[in-house]
Amino acid sequence: MKRYDLIIIGAGPSGLSAAIEAAKRGMKVIVFDENARPGGQLFKQIHKFFGSKEHKAKIRGFVIGRQLLGEAEKAGVEVRLSATVIGLYPDKEVVVREILEPEEGTAGETSAKEAVFHYKGDAIIVATGASENMVTFDGWTLPGVMGAGAAQTLMNLHGVRPGRKVLMLGSGNVGLVVSFQLLQAGCEVVALVDAAPRIGGYGVHAAKVARTGVPFYLSHTIKKAEGTDHVTGVTIAQVDSRFQFIEGTEKHFDVDTICVAVGLSPMSQLLKMAGCEMDNSGKGGGQIPVVDESGATSVPGIYAVGDVAGIEEASSAMIEGRMAGIRVAEYLGFDDKAGADTAFDQNEKALEGLRQGMFAPGNRGKKIEKTEEGIPVSENLLTHGFVADDEIERYPGVTHKAGVHPVMECTQNIPCNPCQDACPKHCISIGSNITSLPVVLKDSACIDCGMCVSSCPGQAIFLVNEDAGPGKATVTLPYEFLPLPEEGDEGYGLGRDGSRVCDAKVVRVRSSGAFDHTALVTIEVPAEYAMKARFFVKA
Amino acid sequence: MDESLRIKTHPILGDYTKGKLVHFTYDGRDMTGYEGEPIAAALKAAGVMVHRYTAKRHTPRGIFCAIGRCTDCVMVVDGEPNVRTCMTMLKEGMKVETQYGVSSKPFADEKQ
Repeated sequence: MKRYDLIIIGAGPSGLSAAIEAAKRGMKVIVFDENARPGGQLFKQIHKFFGSKEHKAKIRGFVIGRQLLGEAEKAGVEVRLSATVIGLYPDKEVVVREILEPEEGTAGETSAKEAVFHYKGDAIIVATGASENMVTFDGWTLPGVMGAGAAQTLMNLHGVRPGRKVLMLGSGNVGLVVSFQLLQAGCEVVALVDAAPRIGGYGVHAAKVARTGVPFYLSHTIKKAEGTDHVTGVTIAQVDSRFQFIEGTEKHFDVDTICVAVGLSPMSQLLKMAGCEMDNSGKGGGQIPVVDESGATSVPGIYAVGDVAGIEEASSAMIEGRMAGIRVAEYLGFDDKAGADTAFDQNEKALEGLRQGMFAPGNRGKKIEKTEEGIPVSENLLTHGFVADDEIERYPGVTHKAGVHPVMECTQNIPCNPCQDACPKHCISIGSNITSLPVVLKDSACIDCGMCVSSCPGQAIFLVNEDAGPGKATVTLPYEFLPLPEEGDEGYGLGRDGSRVCDAKVVRVRSSGAFDHTALVTIEVPAEYAMKARFFVKA
Repeated sequence: MDESLRIKTHPILGDYTKGKLVHFTYDGRDMTGYEGEPIAAALKAAGVMVHRYTAKRHTPRGIFCAIGRCTDCVMVVDGEPNVRTCMTMLKEGMKVETQYGVSSKPFADEKQ
C-alpha cells in the first residue's frame, strides 16, 4: 500500500486547484482520474468565462484547463489517469482500478490489463464532479438522442459533429452554451425547447443563440423522437402549468440529433460509502455531502469540492478546490493558521463575488422581476431568448450619442466585469459591485478599438455609429463563426430575434490575437436599424 | 454517404490535432479514422448511428453520454464484447462489430 499526504479523486477544475494549493505547501499529492485526459469538462468549454480577473474571466475554459495543468505540473502534483477509484473508506483508504501500461508486443490487443491497488492518504479530497440528467420520452433510447455533454465531447474534443440538424431540450446554461457551440461546429439548431415557462440560463447566452435565428419554445417539451433505427425527426408540444401536454399544439421538426440538457447530478457515491453525512434535500442538484466552507465533510480528513458538493460553475469549483487545498495543508501541519487564513479569506471573498446576482445559488428557481437597479427584467428575454426592441432602451448600457459608441445589451445582474477593464479610455463602468449593469460614461471618448466587444463573455456589446453618412449607420458585432464574412459582402442584418430586418453590407472585418478568436464584423445598415440589426448573414 | 461530420476548421479551436490515419473494419466494411481518437468518434464521422441492439427487446442504441458512463455505445471489438467505444481509442487494424445482446451474431429476427 502506497501512502500520500493527500489523495484527490478527480482531475477536473476543483481537484486540480486543490492539488496545486496543497502541493505548493510541500504536500505529497496524487490525483486519480478515470479518464485518459486530465481537466474534467474544462477542455470542452470553448466559451469565454464570466466573472472578474480573479475568476479568470474572458479566458476560454480550455485555456484555463491548460493553465491549471501547467500549474499542477510546476507544483509537483502527480496525476494518475485511467485510474478509477472504486472504494473510499472512513480511515482514508482508497481502492483504485488502474490500467497497466500495455507491454511491448501486445499491440492490437484491445483489453488493457487492469489491476486494483490500495492507497492510503492522511487526507482525501473528493472532486468527482457530476453526471448529466436525462428525461424520458417516446423514443428516448434511439441512437441520435444524446446528452448535450456528449455532443460537446464529440465536437470540441474530437472534432466530429454529433449530427447535422439538432434539437436542443433544456434552456439552462448548458443547453444555451452547447446550442451556440453546435452552431459554431456547423450544425443547424432547429429549436431550443424547455418545459419550463422561462429560460433558465443567462439571458446573454440565450440572446447570442436567438439572434442567429434559432427559435425558442418555452413551456414545450418533447413528445416523441421519431425513427426506427435512429432519430429522423422529433415532435414537441406545449405543456400547461402542470406540465401536461396541450392537445393540438404539436410541432414536428426533421432532425437527426436530439440533445438533452436537463441538469446535472453530483456523483457523490464515494462520499456516502465513506460514511460522510449526506444532505438529501436535493438543493445541490442531488445527494450531496454536508460540508463546511472549506469542504470538510463529517468524517475528519475527508473533503468534498466542486460539483459533487453541489452543482455550480467551473469558476466556483476552482475556488472551492483552492480553499480545501489550503485548509488540508493547515490540518496536516504544512502551513500555520495565520498563513492559511490569509489565503483562505482571499479565495472566500472571490467565491462570494461569484455567488451574487440574479443567478446566485440562493435565487435558484425564483422569478426575479427587477434588476438591482430597479429596472424591469425583459419578459421577452425570459420567454423568447431576446430583448424586444421596445425593451432594450431602458438599460443603462444602451445610450445614444454622436460617433461610434458602445451599446451594451447586458440586462441581468450577473457577476461579470471584463468590459470595465477592457476599455483603454475608461468609457465603461460597472463599479465595485460586480453584478451591476454596465454604464456608458457620459464624457468618455470611444476610439472604436473593439476591446469591449471581444471581452464580453456574453457577446452583448456592440459598437454603434448612428450617423455614418447620409441615412446610414454602422454596427460592429462579435462574430465567432466560419466562414468569416469579408469586407464588401452583401447580405442582411438580423434583429435580436434572428429575423431579417434590413439589407446590410460588411464594411470592416477585424480579427486579432487580442480579440481571442472573437472577430469583429462591422456592417452598414439603414440608419433606422442602428438599434435593431444585431447579426449578419450573407445573401 | 454525404459529406463527413468531421469539422474541418473550427472558429475557436482551429484545426484539430489528430493521430495518423488508420484503417479498421466495421461489420466487415473497410473504414478509416485517426489513431488515438475514440472508436465512437470515427464511427460518428462516418455516419454510423447504431452501435448495438439490446439483448431483450432488440432495440438499437448509439452514442449517448460519450464519457464512459452509460454503456449504450458498447460494441464487439476484436472479438471482445461490451467494449465502450467512446472510451476505447482507435488502433490500426481493429475489428469493430455491431453488438447483438452480447455477441456479434445478429438475432434470428433482426434485419441485416
